[in-house]
Amino acid sequence: MWNSRRLVLAHLWFAFASFGTALPLGEWQMFIRSPLHPWISDPEWYYRSVTAHGTTMAYVFPTLVAMGFGYFVTEHALRRPMVGLRWAWLGFALVVVGTIAAIVPVALGRASVLYTFYPPLIGHPSYYIGVVLVVVGSWVWVALMSINMYRWKRDNPGAPVPFPMFATVAGSYLWAWTAVGAALELLFQIIPVALGWRSTIDAGLARVFFSWTLHAIVYFWLMPAYIAYYTIVPRAIGGRLFSDTMGRIAFILFLIVAMPIGIHHAFEDPQVGSGFKYLHSVFTALVTLPTSLTVFTICASVEIAGRLRGGKGVLGWLKALPWRNPVMLGVALSFVMLGFGGAGGLINMSYPLNATVHNTQWITGHFHLIFGGAIVIMYFVIAYDIWPHLTGRTLDSFGLMRAQLWTWFIGMIVLTFPWHWVGILGMPRRMAFYDYADPAIAAQAASVTMSVGGGAILVLSGVLFLVVLVRGQTAPQTEPAAYRFSVAVRPPRALPAALNGFGLWLGLMVALTIVNYGFPIAHSLATPGTAVPVVEVGERW
Amino acid sequence: MSHLSTSDEGADRGERTERRWATAAVMILALMVVVATFAALYHGAMPQSRVETADPRTLHLGGEFIESNLGSALEPDGSVTVRAIGQQYSFTPSCILVPTDTPVTFRATSADVVHGFLIDGTNINLMLVPGYVSSLGARFDAPGERLMPCHEFCSVGHEGMWGRIQIIDKAAFARMAADQRRLSCVE
Amino acid sequence: MVTRETIASFRNPWFTASVGITAAIAIVSAIVGFVWLPLQHPGERFKGVWDAICSAAGLVRNAASGTQIVRAHYLTTSVEIDPQMLRGASAESIGRGATLALRCTMCHGARGLSQADTPNLAGEYPVTIYKELVDFKTGARVSAVMAPLVADLSDADMRDLAAYYAYLPRVSVPEPAAGEPPRIVASGAPLRGIAPCGACHGEVDSKASAAWLEGQPAVYLRTQLEAFSTGARHNDIGAQMRNIARQMTATEISAASEFYAGRP
Repeated sequence: MWNSRRLVLAHLWFAFASFGTALPLGEWQMFIRSPLHPWISDPEWYYRSVTAHGTTMAYVFPTLVAMGFGYFVTEHALRRPMVGLRWAWLGFALVVVGTIAAIVPVALGRASVLYTFYPPLIGHPSYYIGVVLVVVGSWVWVALMSINMYRWKRDNPGAPVPFPMFATVAGSYLWAWTAVGAALELLFQIIPVALGWRSTIDAGLARVFFSWTLHAIVYFWLMPAYIAYYTIVPRAIGGRLFSDTMGRIAFILFLIVAMPIGIHHAFEDPQVGSGFKYLHSVFTALVTLPTSLTVFTICASVEIAGRLRGGKGVLGWLKALPWRNPVMLGVALSFVMLGFGGAGGLINMSYPLNATVHNTQWITGHFHLIFGGAIVIMYFVIAYDIWPHLTGRTLDSFGLMRAQLWTWFIGMIVLTFPWHWVGILGMPRRMAFYDYADPAIAAQAASVTMSVGGGAILVLSGVLFLVVLVRGQTAPQTEPAAYRFSVAVRPPRALPAALNGFGLWLGLMVALTIVNYGFPIAHSLATPGTAVPVVEVGERW
Repeated sequence: MSHLSTSDEGADRGERTERRWATAAVMILALMVVVATFAALYHGAMPQSRVETADPRTLHLGGEFIESNLGSALEPDGSVTVRAIGQQYSFTPSCILVPTDTPVTFRATSADVVHGFLIDGTNINLMLVPGYVSSLGARFDAPGERLMPCHEFCSVGHEGMWGRIQIIDKAAFARMAADQRRLSCVE
Repeated sequence: MVTRETIASFRNPWFTASVGITAAIAIVSAIVGFVWLPLQHPGERFKGVWDAICSAAGLVRNAASGTQIVRAHYLTTSVEIDPQMLRGASAESIGRGATLALRCTMCHGARGLSQADTPNLAGEYPVTIYKELVDFKTGARVSAVMAPLVADLSDADMRDLAAYYAYLPRVSVPEPAAGEPPRIVASGAPLRGIAPCGACHGEVDSKASAAWLEGQPAVYLRTQLEAFSTGARHNDIGAQMRNIARQMTATEISAASEFYAGRP
């Protein structure tokens, strides 16, 4: 019997409720700035929506999914009640309070600074304090993941940590460390000026701190999806995980190399030396490796399932796969989007190509495809898979689930492919309206209109998703069998100690951070005269 | 599970395939790094190699970015230096003039908040961060006119921040430069 | 099942391989990124390898001024704007300003509400008032009327005047404020580089030193926009109003002026 059921359900419901609120905002934004709508009379509304949509989708929604899923894994992979349940509820409360503290000023138009903050633009302090509270709540989760794993290790000496837990803890350490960058920016730079204690801020240094967080946060978002690839998909489709060892290595690689590569978000910035830009781009190339390993391992695992079901031939096993199973459909659609989104990422990672697309709509299209597409579709899959275990009720609207997954995929493709294209045409980001009548940009109109259509399909898909979950809350009660994660083809015989713990990998992560970020930050702090006046937003007389 | 063979031969084949895949992945990404490095070298596609500072509060009072010193300057060695500022919500000069077939260096900074600087159809793509000077070298092959939007959120007037750049024949530019020390196509 | 070797030891292949590979990649990339590439940078002249490394690391290297700086043949504003300036004026300052303002009432009205085509000063942003006074005094903004009147104002006087006028209640524009704003005011003209007026002038957001325009005489607004468009008025920092006014048509200038003045 496990005791974190309500905890996990609370996290996931709040996550999906916030997702459900932010999703239509996104489509409204797309519509407002498209040729289908006249120029909005007060552009501030648009930027307010962008701030709300970004803050919710980047800081609230994925954090809660990771936390909830992490608690689920803790109890079901370690097969014992979670330690620290009360602390977990405290962490959840901090996230909820933080979300409210952040969203209220945004909703009132006092913090239209976008989720990337962008000092010297400064909004109401409650916004930033809210974000800090959300992060602190998530750090409680990190501590609990670690404590639970180490207690289990102590009680099971010499035994390999179950892979789902190992991966979850890796993800939590990654998050804790990457959040430090934005935390430093918020605590030591932004909040003091938002509260009026100082009136100048070093915008360049703030951007460097933010870049520390900005890249690895996407790997934090990705963790639940990748954990699901390895630990849910093979079991759900009746197969086996091809390699437990390779899985551990992939997550270890993420832990080390996801972090110290953020300056590829600052390739065009003037405050960072070119040597560090190069260093970061090389390590960014490295972070493609764990994804390539994952693609192999998961495809192999899926092939095992296909062959176990009687599939034959080089590709014939594909037909034998359980396509009517939402998990199978979800992972396949996810991999298609991962392929395209990942290719876009390869373009962004080197300076010469990055300069062609930086801050054009290509970038926005890219992260919607890879995060909103490949990753979020796996969040849906996770929810569908564990929901009966959370609610104690059946979840069998399989037709609806498949329709929801297909509409999410189709909507995402229709939304983001034209979006990438207008980026290549040079459409700049984050404008409340565009003059499509002018021949210079008229060519962009058709693509933007197509994206509006894609977004509408996504809203429909989001509604379907919530319908499925709500149905799951009101369905007849059931006793699901004990939850099982996937099993490796060959359980690890002699697992190297290095793949069962984190000391070495955390050491490398911190060392690389010092090498890649230490000097830029230290020298920026030491350089006088780069603090500039704060520009407050949301002031109206 | 009866026909799931965990025979060593099958496992070894699987591991070999996995190793080959991992090796291929590493080689591909090494190749990408090498290609990016050589593109940097042979097309001069490199970020600026210096960090320079400038105080946004006093840009208009003295120094390189006062308004009369902005615009395109023909240097003694034949190259052109373009100086510009970004501010809420326009660039100055709002129309930049450059010649063809000449090394051009853009030098720009922000007078207030973070702005972007993008010349449509080119790789000239910069962030303007107040407190720092951005610079980039470029070369234009053919005459024409291009849009020059700000591509970073700079608060509520961002959607109105579009400049232009005109590329004119090198000789025509030189004739104009004989009369004026700082050129632009602002009317 | 888990092997028992020490992890942090060079005898552990995992340790050696991971630390070794990471260090090797970092060192090779550093050599390429901090030494080789900077030395190949076209158009850069470094004084040796160490200079190139320092520059690539991001140490501040402000370029020598090179070409001479071209000065304008007219005066530009000398005011350094800080968005936080002139906030929280004291009652004494407002009182002193009230006294100084007695000499302004002939043109600008008893309560800062003008009967003529001079601007209403009541409720204007203090930074705007202060800056314009300084600019009149230095000659950055040319006015035969204002110049002698500000000649003997000290900096503190100008701050006091700004505080006083900011404190006065604004003119109330007849509701609904001249109906729907014309397109140039509400949305600007993006591809001509014109943002909505309200983005700086207060209805949407306020930029320090940009004036509150509602209720200003239409004639005044029109003449100022025309002056910006020809460059006759040039005290706007970084030519930001000149950039805008130059791109406005005469119709748009009229429409904007009429709108803000409150007449339909």
